[in-house]
Amino acid sequence: MSMNAATNDPEIRSTLFNRMLDRYSPLVVILVALFAVVFVYGMVTAPNFLTVFNFKTIIRDAALVGIMGIGLTFVTLSGNFFLLSMKETAALSIIAFAIAMSNGYGFELAFLFTMCVAVIAGMLQGALIGLGGNPIVVTLGAAGLFFGIASWWSDNLVVSFRRPHGAEWLGSGSFLGLPNITIAFILIAITAEIVLRYTSFGRQVYLIGANRAAGRATGHENFSMAIKTCTIASVCSAFVAIAFSAQVSSAHVNYFSSEFGSSGDMTILVIATVMVAGNSIMGGYGSTLRTSLGAIFISTVDNMMVLHGFNSGPRVLAVGLMIVFSIIVFALVRRGSRVQE
Amino acid sequence: MSYLKKAIGVATAACLTVGLAFAPASAQDKKGSIVSFNGPAGEAYIGRFIKGIKETAELKGFDIKVFENQFNQAEQDQQVQQVLAAGQLPDVFIWWPSDATAGLGSLRALHKTGVPVLKINQLPNEQDKKYIFGYAGPDDRLRARNAGYMMREAAAAKKANGGEGFNVIVLSYPHSYGGYGLSINAFKEAIAGSDLNIIGDVDEGFGQANGYKGAAKLIASVKDQGIHFVYGMDDAILTGGIKALEEAGYTMGEDVIAVGTVCNGDKQLIEEGKQFGTTLQSPLHEGQLAIKLVEEYLDTGKLENYINFTPNPAVTKETIETTALQGYDGKLYGINELCSGAWAQ
Repeated sequence: MSMNAATNDPEIRSTLFNRMLDRYSPLVVILVALFAVVFVYGMVTAPNFLTVFNFKTIIRDAALVGIMGIGLTFVTLSGNFFLLSMKETAALSIIAFAIAMSNGYGFELAFLFTMCVAVIAGMLQGALIGLGGNPIVVTLGAAGLFFGIASWWSDNLVVSFRRPHGAEWLGSGSFLGLPNITIAFILIAITAEIVLRYTSFGRQVYLIGANRAAGRATGHENFSMAIKTCTIASVCSAFVAIAFSAQVSSAHVNYFSSEFGSSGDMTILVIATVMVAGNSIMGGYGSTLRTSLGAIFISTVDNMMVLHGFNSGPRVLAVGLMIVFSIIVFALVRRGSRVQE
Repeated sequence: MSYLKKAIGVATAACLTVGLAFAPASAQDKKGSIVSFNGPAGEAYIGRFIKGIKETAELKGFDIKVFENQFNQAEQDQQVQQVLAAGQLPDVFIWWPSDATAGLGSLRALHKTGVPVLKINQLPNEQDKKYIFGYAGPDDRLRARNAGYMMREAAAAKKANGGEGFNVIVLSYPHSYGGYGLSINAFKEAIAGSDLNIIGDVDEGFGQANGYKGAAKLIASVKDQGIHFVYGMDDAILTGGIKALEEAGYTMGEDVIAVGTVCNGDKQLIEEGKQFGTTLQSPLHEGQLAIKLVEEYLDTGKLENYINFTPNPAVTKETIETTALQGYDGKLYGINELCSGAWAQ
């Protein structure tokens, strides 16, 4: 009651804090303020956190998961939930790339070959989802299929190729002091956001995600949309696979499994990246910019804790808590928006 | 048409006759049967271990069935129940638990059948040692100690050449993993009394990606103090760490000297001088040793040694091409066959 009375005062309303109070529920504001205090305290007290070198480390750390997250965001925004086959698509792609490289086809041909594999993988899943298949079931099945093919193809062995192999520029190269992977992440994030905001395809993604019936009524079927968005997600997975393989000059089917990230499984980490940024799981609301920032946010929290000397257990816990926290806050914000409407 | 049918009938009958004639003889020839519970062949190290047990079992005349789990103790427990429920018990169980503590119940169930159990890869503890007749696997302490000695050697050479700076960063296994404590303590003992000084330790996780990520954060944290040596608890982690150090502007082999273990990383890094050395841990030998111990136990009713380690020799740029170990099958294996990382090509 008193809160409402306070926010009615025009002088007080001029402050940023009270504008937030006016727009969001007090619970949201308190949670965000609490988080901001903890976050800023962590940043200021972490040794060597506020340095250019560390900033670059954070972005570089976020890059691979962020690129996959951007791809997955298209699927989520279009109302097709998630692809649970992200890491298996990457596993299949990394084996395809490494086998092509180890057979001496060169970077360009190996890249094209891998992308073809990824496009087929994406289209296959998209077609099944577009025909009415449950995305969870379809992509779980696809995950097994892709991982099985990759395991069989590589005979479960590490596939390596010797340096120099022509792909070092992507895996380990840098430009103006920034790793090329970081630059690729930034470029992909900008391109994806432009596509979503300013192209008819982007508007269709939001339309079909928000209201499939309305999309159908205007001639935009989910069948073609599912194929397109799943293909984008697959291609992003393949790009990450190629970049990682180029960095370590080898490939193994398990490179994207438990060994990827202190948060464990790559697919879960990518989904967390999409969710932590407040994208709607039901589709129609969110952006790839949010996902990019989500990846950077997770990386920042993890980085800060390393600098504070925490080992992996507390770090996984903290990242998990941040994800739960973000989901709660965004859910409250969206519920508030709907109430206002 | 009828001629064809007759021909097929005769051929089938002949095949059955031959098969029946040879089957009992084949079964009688076998020395015994083994069931192995272990992780997935999709993991490079375990893949080579499975190759080792299968090939050696065949060579020694054992029947072997391998049950793989996806690093999941619940799945492994279920496999144990299935095998026990089937009622056809082997002569020996090989037990590589996904989680030695959580899997204790299954180990107890295997022991209750009266079939002897050989534990693999994870050292026996107070709880499970009464259920097994022996252990075959790596010695985490020895390989870490050897890595420490190699780093000491490199540090002494650096000092002799007028070099300065002996700060060490450690790229660890997860601190909750059993091998961490054994490895770090043995490594610290090995470098004690030298100029080497550990200034940072990060445990991002297993594998190259985690090695890269962990090292990148640790570099940001301790860069000001100077980084001169890096110890990777295995070569896969170290491979990622070396990439992070290179991206941070360090010249490997000159600014920073890297030492790893396990031999599951990148051979070319050693050849190029970016990694000073590693200590070999051969999964193929681990598999072969397991079958050798099974044979010894079935022949004599006991093992000469309860704990049986695989060898962990040091490998450097100078010795990489000449390193070879004799397998428990009598054959001589070169480095490419012994290691489990990007070494085969």
